[in-house]
Amino acid sequence: MRLENVAFRYRRRDPWVFRDVTLSLAVGSVTEVTGHNGAGKSTLLRVIAGLRLPRVGVVKDRPARVGYAPERFPVDQPFSVRGYLGHMAAVRRVPRDAVDAWAERLHLDHLLDVRLPELSKGSGQKVGLAQALMGDPELLILDEPFAGLDAAIRDALPELISGLAADGATVVVSDHQRCIETLPGVERLRVADAAVTRLAPDGTADDWTVLEVEVPADEAATLETKLRADGYRVRRAGQ
Amino acid sequence: MIALVRFQMAGYVRSLRVLQPLIVVALFAALILSQGPSGPDASTLAARTFADVAAFMFPVWAWAARALLDTQPDEQRALTATAARVPHTPLWAGLLAAYAMNLCLGVVALAIPLLQALQAGSPGSAILTGCALNLLVAAPGTLLGAWTSRAVIPDPGVSLLALLGGALGFLLLGIGPLAWLSVPMIDWLRAAHDGPDAFTSHFPAVALHLLLWSLVVGALYATTARRRP
Repeated sequence: MRLENVAFRYRRRDPWVFRDVTLSLAVGSVTEVTGHNGAGKSTLLRVIAGLRLPRVGVVKDRPARVGYAPERFPVDQPFSVRGYLGHMAAVRRVPRDAVDAWAERLHLDHLLDVRLPELSKGSGQKVGLAQALMGDPELLILDEPFAGLDAAIRDALPELISGLAADGATVVVSDHQRCIETLPGVERLRVADAAVTRLAPDGTADDWTVLEVEVPADEAATLETKLRADGYRVRRAGQ
Repeated sequence: MIALVRFQMAGYVRSLRVLQPLIVVALFAALILSQGPSGPDASTLAARTFADVAAFMFPVWAWAARALLDTQPDEQRALTATAARVPHTPLWAGLLAAYAMNLCLGVVALAIPLLQALQAGSPGSAILTGCALNLLVAAPGTLLGAWTSRAVIPDPGVSLLALLGGALGFLLLGIGPLAWLSVPMIDWLRAAHDGPDAFTSHFPAVALHLLLWSLVVGALYATTARRRP
């Protein structure tokens, strides 16, 4: 999937959370989103997941099956873990036995009959992960998935993410705990100062420079499309 | 779609929010409707009750729909939106769940008037018209509730004022020259108070008005709610 010239702000007069974001998320890739608190990581994840519409630009080729686990799972719901996951499985059109399978994988099986409001933060986080994972997602968005998790699952989750990516899922993770940075081939994005920058493997920002190109007016659109497809950031003069 | 409807209805019922309108409707039925019509005009009065129930239930339906649509926390709405593969499904599922729940409340409200109308020998056509009227009025009631739900008006105080103001506003609007913009409450009440025949003969116009109103307001709601986070 691809973000083209995407910009987002919450209200018309608000400052931009980010702008001029053009990036590709390859099938089977794992992307780590970093940035300070309030930089706009969660907003970027929501735009990628389709929960927020960009004010400018487009998100293209978003897969149909999206799994999204929020930073704080909403435990204030009148269901047991089993009942909640059963409803989400039905909404995702996956067999009900997927609930038991994922509960076992995430060490949730002993909590299946516990009511959601009675869960600890970590257990709530596991329920959020289970509902995101059980639909066999093609695009998996995890917002701070490691926060509050016990050591066993925290250690197992990077491998799980890696396995899903190997099976063809596009994974985007916001991770303050730095649990996935050791995974091989992780791409990194930094959200800061209303910009999204792709980081080099060593953590430094890719070195970009501005190159002005003059083209005949009738060829501008074609060249712009071509350059964007090649991963370059393109701004028209006067925009 | 059906799974989402069941999820929303289950959340509303299990959170016990359903008790609020249910208690109001049960009290209305026990204290007012149970005093059935009597005397020589009993059958006419019994048929008229259907129109009164529809007018009473309009704000109750709006209130119940708003409560049902607001039951899910905002973050859960985001999870539901990603789980449903078609972007518009949660919106229509929410409306359908609210309408279905309102029909259940309508059954509770209409149980006593229906029995009384049958006992009093009200014309079958008037009874059917009364039931159909309530079936139709539940739709604009649901839509008023949807327009005042958190997805459209995040502030709970403002949304409550909008709900009360909307219900009162539509009643007042129905009296003046802009009645065609409103829910035709005054029309159906006047027709019902003119007798069962007038109630039945005016019903097609009232039904058409209700359907058009619901279509326009529902389409505007779908357009607006879709743009909200």
